[in-house]
Amino acid sequence: MAALDMNAEGGPKFVGDPLKIPKIECGAMMDTNTYKAAPAHNEPLGFPGELLENWQEVAIAKLGELAATNRAFQVYLDTCVKCGACTDKCHYFLGTGDPKNMPVARQDLLRSVYRRYYTFAGKYFPWLVGARDLTREVLDEWYTYYHQCSQCRRCAVACPYGIDTAEISMAAREILDTVGVGQKYCNEIIAKLKKTGNNLGMNPKALRATLEDLEEDLEEETGIPIKLPLDVQGADILLITPSADFFAEPHIDGLLGYAKVFHAAGVNWTISSYASEAANFGMFIGSYENMREVSWRIRQAAKDLGVKRIVFGECGHAWRVGYSFLNTLAGPFDFLDQNYPIPQHIMEFTSDAIDDGLLKIDKSKNDEFVMTYHDSCNVARGSAMGRKEGGQFDLPRKVLQAVCNHYYEMERDTIRENTFCCGGGGGLLTDDLMDLRIKGAAPRMTAMQQVSADHGVTHMAAICAICKTQFSKVMPKYGYEMDNIMSVHQLVANAVILDGQETEAEAATAEETP
Amino acid sequence: MISTVFAVLFYLATILLVVGVGMKVMKYARTPVPLKIVVSPAPRTKRGVVLRMFREVIFFESLFKSNKWIWIFAYLFHWGMLIVLLRHLRYFTEPVWWWVELMQPLGKLMAFVMLAGLLGLWARRIFQERIRYISNPSDHLMLALLVGIAGTGTLMTYVTRTDVIMVKSYMLGLLRFDIRELPLDPILLSHLGLVVILMIIFPISKLIHAPGLFFAPSRTQVDNAREKRHISKWARNLPPLPEGIPKKKEG
Amino acid sequence: MAYDVNGTTVEHDEEGYITNLSEWTKELADVISKAEDIDMGEEHWAVVNFLRDYYEEYQIAPAVRVLIKSIKKSMGPEVGNNKYMYELFPYGPAKQACKIAGLPKPTGCV
Repeated sequence: MAALDMNAEGGPKFVGDPLKIPKIECGAMMDTNTYKAAPAHNEPLGFPGELLENWQEVAIAKLGELAATNRAFQVYLDTCVKCGACTDKCHYFLGTGDPKNMPVARQDLLRSVYRRYYTFAGKYFPWLVGARDLTREVLDEWYTYYHQCSQCRRCAVACPYGIDTAEISMAAREILDTVGVGQKYCNEIIAKLKKTGNNLGMNPKALRATLEDLEEDLEEETGIPIKLPLDVQGADILLITPSADFFAEPHIDGLLGYAKVFHAAGVNWTISSYASEAANFGMFIGSYENMREVSWRIRQAAKDLGVKRIVFGECGHAWRVGYSFLNTLAGPFDFLDQNYPIPQHIMEFTSDAIDDGLLKIDKSKNDEFVMTYHDSCNVARGSAMGRKEGGQFDLPRKVLQAVCNHYYEMERDTIRENTFCCGGGGGLLTDDLMDLRIKGAAPRMTAMQQVSADHGVTHMAAICAICKTQFSKVMPKYGYEMDNIMSVHQLVANAVILDGQETEAEAATAEETP
Repeated sequence: MISTVFAVLFYLATILLVVGVGMKVMKYARTPVPLKIVVSPAPRTKRGVVLRMFREVIFFESLFKSNKWIWIFAYLFHWGMLIVLLRHLRYFTEPVWWWVELMQPLGKLMAFVMLAGLLGLWARRIFQERIRYISNPSDHLMLALLVGIAGTGTLMTYVTRTDVIMVKSYMLGLLRFDIRELPLDPILLSHLGLVVILMIIFPISKLIHAPGLFFAPSRTQVDNAREKRHISKWARNLPPLPEGIPKKKEG
Repeated sequence: MAYDVNGTTVEHDEEGYITNLSEWTKELADVISKAEDIDMGEEHWAVVNFLRDYYEEYQIAPAVRVLIKSIKKSMGPEVGNNKYMYELFPYGPAKQACKIAGLPKPTGCV
């Protein structure tokens, strides 16, 4: 592996600055566009199939409506002073040099139109304040650059006024959808979820077959019949996890980790085939209604199964929706056990299980890995965990360090609340944006290369399905293997020793004597 | 004649400023917040939020963390301006309050600090390519306006000297709707003219960031979404979604 | 956007996945694999056939792990492992093999 070879050449060396600011390169990414949605993708979401004839009028009206119904949007449009503090904070700008990927410039694509139609200065002195008419070119530019924002909010941390580009980007996508210009990736997926309950479009039969298959694997590994229960009435816990956990690598290993933790804690849990998805792409497209509809399924599944608690699996934006929005969108959850947080994150569950001494752990099982941890943007800046401020940073680290011996942090300005997006968040995890994804991953990958050089870090753990998929695709471009990204609960699964579990030695002798 | 024109302008500008800012603040306050969008890690209590905003307002905490150059210039400018403004209270009070009297030497000095901050910010806007890229003519004009006000003020303090007794008498008069004579000093009149312009554009320009800061949900919300249900009025009135799950046969 | 299979056209989407799944034929798979720069051998066909059988039963592609497990059973561990799957289908056994097998693209965070 290249990252380790660097180390072998003779001690740590400087591999590059993850925060290095590129020279401005106008138009560098203007031709990078994501596929547009077909009518069949838009219509199930309540949007027009194709660009409306009177799109301009509708878009301007929608802009005004959003400003009137969302204080954040209104205030953020008004209060930017163009100080420039955000200009070097976006990973897509750092990776591409395209100035329209600087947060303030991205906001201004929309703000300039808002000024033209909704402010005194923009109406009468457009040239003075950079106001412009909403033309077809402007609409296309919105489509391009609002789909080069992963809504990660690193810029919002930097802004002296708390202006959150994610809010602007979500509003822009909502306006685009309203006039019939949707993005294929997000809209196709939301439509699929409404039909099947998950982003994959996996029906209950396929889900059951997959889970049974994984149960077989678990039993083969441990000698214990660990269950991955589906649609169990009266279970205590409903697990809401990203459907990628049923499908992709290393996500599945995370799922097996949750199952082992639940098994060790002796709780009665279930997955729901009706709400078999934690992800909620309604957030990415800024649609309150769609986000509410997707969240509503969780409420109905919890009621239907009669569970007492809801636990979320490893999924970044889902945890933002779960932690920050679920109570708003689908609450109140007065029918659940109020002694537990609603919803709870699997990391909170595992952390408690460790504190309560419910997990028997052999850290040495993970000795082949030298770990670092990637804070997923939506977890870091859009949610919390545990009882203390900053728990979303501390709990995953605590769990990681409880299950592995070798752990190092990446550079301070690239972790915790300053973490970089993986480069594939916010509805951009699609093959047609691969160029953007690779470039956007550069800051994070450089930070990782640095700890690889300094400490021999081999693997990175994350708690987000998007991060995991993104890194498994882009890591090979940065000298790593696709499996150098791991689920936190994959490491938990490796280290947990269950009661009655066959040790490797026992398993070996068992095989020898048929 | 000129004294009357300025009096009218001052009254007009004051009305526009107060009404304009009042309307904006009312609009912000009344606009619903559909979701908890606080940028975390964030305080979980109201007390914590007050503390967070205190640090933002007094220390420009986020800016300090994100860009030291902008922070230092912005900090010099804003604090310089505040102290200069407070020093100006002496032209509106009789007798002058003791603490205003006390800060007079500091206040006079702060004009330079304010100017230095402004020029630093302007230099960045001109020479730093990223900030140049995002600047509109209005961004430069706003700085020009402030530099003009601070510059003319400093000139009067340190170079030309204007008849401050007369100015004070005029200002005290304005407060009682009694229009007196203003010294016909071109530097003073430019100073006051620029201030009038600033007051008028305040509510309709980016200067509204001052009150706007207190309405940014990303900073002012309490991080307690799980404990306390947050719901906006319009969201409450959305048509209810169907209860129950449709029973389908597996497969 | 269409593939040309001996004179008949088969529509596909922007990314090369056929739009009407019933139009799939072995000849079409050959055409798609050429477009993908893949030389179809016995092992490729084993994957494609498994995908099609699985899809017929479950209306979705299998998880890569399920695919590998099955190939391991039928063709042995030298073929049935993750690394070899990526050698067969460099752009991923899920997406690229699905395309050749005439299955819809797996969507979501995968």
